[in-house]
Amino acid sequence: MRNTATSPKLRLSGVTKSFVAPRTGQQTLAVAEMSLDVQTGEFICVVGPSGCGKSTVLNMIAGLDKPSGGTIEKDGQAITGPGADRGVMFQDYALMPWQTVEDNVGFGLRHGTPGRDLSKDQREQRIAHFIELVGLRGSERKYPHQLSGGMRQRVALARLLANGPDILLLDEPLGALDAQTRHILQAELLRIWGETAPVSERKTAIFITHDIEEAVLLADRVVVMSSHPGRVREVVTIDLPRPRANTARTNPRFGVLVEQIWSLIRDEAYRAIGGDTPQAKPTEEATA
Amino acid sequence: MKTWTQDTPAFALMRNMALPVLLGLLWQLWAMTLPEGSPAPAPLKVFESLGDLLVGGGLLSATAQSLGRVLLGFAAASVLGIALGLLMGSFAAMRENLDPIIESFRPIAPMAILPIAILWLGTGTPTALAIVAYASFFPVLVNTVHGVSRVDRKLLLAARTMGMSRLTILTRVVLPGALPSILLGSRLAMGVAWTAIIAAELAVGSKSGGGSSGGIGQMMFVFYAYNIDLNAIVVCMAVVGVVALLIDRLFRSAERHLIPWRP
Repeated sequence: MRNTATSPKLRLSGVTKSFVAPRTGQQTLAVAEMSLDVQTGEFICVVGPSGCGKSTVLNMIAGLDKPSGGTIEKDGQAITGPGADRGVMFQDYALMPWQTVEDNVGFGLRHGTPGRDLSKDQREQRIAHFIELVGLRGSERKYPHQLSGGMRQRVALARLLANGPDILLLDEPLGALDAQTRHILQAELLRIWGETAPVSERKTAIFITHDIEEAVLLADRVVVMSSHPGRVREVVTIDLPRPRANTARTNPRFGVLVEQIWSLIRDEAYRAIGGDTPQAKPTEEATA
Repeated sequence: MKTWTQDTPAFALMRNMALPVLLGLLWQLWAMTLPEGSPAPAPLKVFESLGDLLVGGGLLSATAQSLGRVLLGFAAASVLGIALGLLMGSFAAMRENLDPIIESFRPIAPMAILPIAILWLGTGTPTALAIVAYASFFPVLVNTVHGVSRVDRKLLLAARTMGMSRLTILTRVVLPGALPSILLGSRLAMGVAWTAIIAAELAVGSKSGGGSSGGIGQMMFVFYAYNIDLNAIVVCMAVVGVVALLIDRLFRSAERHLIPWRP
């Protein structure tokens, strides 16, 4: 899976991010000395307690935030700002409420850089294709407020893919959904990412989640982070066979991996919610 | 067959007119207790006066004159207020520099700048326009700035990750995001535009001697200062009220069409 001959798709070397509080001038170290290589077609999940800087790392890769130290490179080039080559799916989807499903999916194609070299027809075809792909045909004229959480999530996913990024940055995209919708969309996400396709045809994905089971289900490798300051605690390789969508959960190895990751963050997770009495296997932290 | 149910427009009209009609009746009953020749206004006399003013009194042209000034002054204020509001909302430096100036002018009533406006622009239409524009500028501006500040920051970030330029983000994200607030500001501005035009025409009316070119405010001034015709003044008040009400309804329906995403 690893090819050392070529440069990695994404390379974080010694990335540090500190924030200065505007009034007090107090400095907080959000991310410390984070290094990570991500290969083309790899699905990386990042888990860790609240405040471990997961979203900060994602924003820095997206180019929305600048590292205070260290470098982030994509295909050997330093990242200097946001760009459509790195698509972001935000936690609450960030759909334009004044746009219909179709307009939202086509937003980047019509007004941003992704559609620059396409003709109008090609753009419209692309929009229709991704609406179809996420199963939203028939809802093109609806506004986000008329959609369920799961459908909004699909719109955001279609918009992300329509822009044709080669790196997908997903910030807890399934966090707000109920358990059943979540299961369905996890499977769909794997299908769209290219689970059944050869590695070379897969997108590179960085997926942030609170949910350890979700991370084990989706990822090739799970980056476990610890907080204050945020740093990489361990990188766990998930050696479950693909495709996983409907079978992985019943694999005995699945539970072992979940337990292994949970044991890495358990202490901090308890501390984060202000207690140290272990409860019955809380795999989903109730933190926000 | 259509029956007399709550669904018919006729029923809705009846229901909505019930209170005004009742108040009018009470007013008329009260007026009938007054001695003959009293100058106090009464509904029937007001209707009589309305007929006179419509036929030969220049009520329509005076109303058109005032309405034109309101629309023109309002349009100027909207263009300026929305443009400046978008800039102030988007750039902290502009906001911090302009805010003290704006906030110290805002409490100064439109009437208070009338003397200066008359000195600079005379007693005609330019002064009336200036007063209307001044009055309606602030609601538009303040609501636009507020609307821009309330645009979800995530939407701006999302637009940047799709490679959009600052200008595109301003027109494609900030403007539509602030639109509900901008339209609210415009509706409020239209209200104050009417109060300002009447006040301005009343004041300027004393200088230029009457006639329908002075607008409906000046017409009121003439009935107040020269004829002492209270019924005619009530007609003018009613006309202003009805026109303003119609414009407000127009704005609300425009809001529904321009903001179809609002649940």
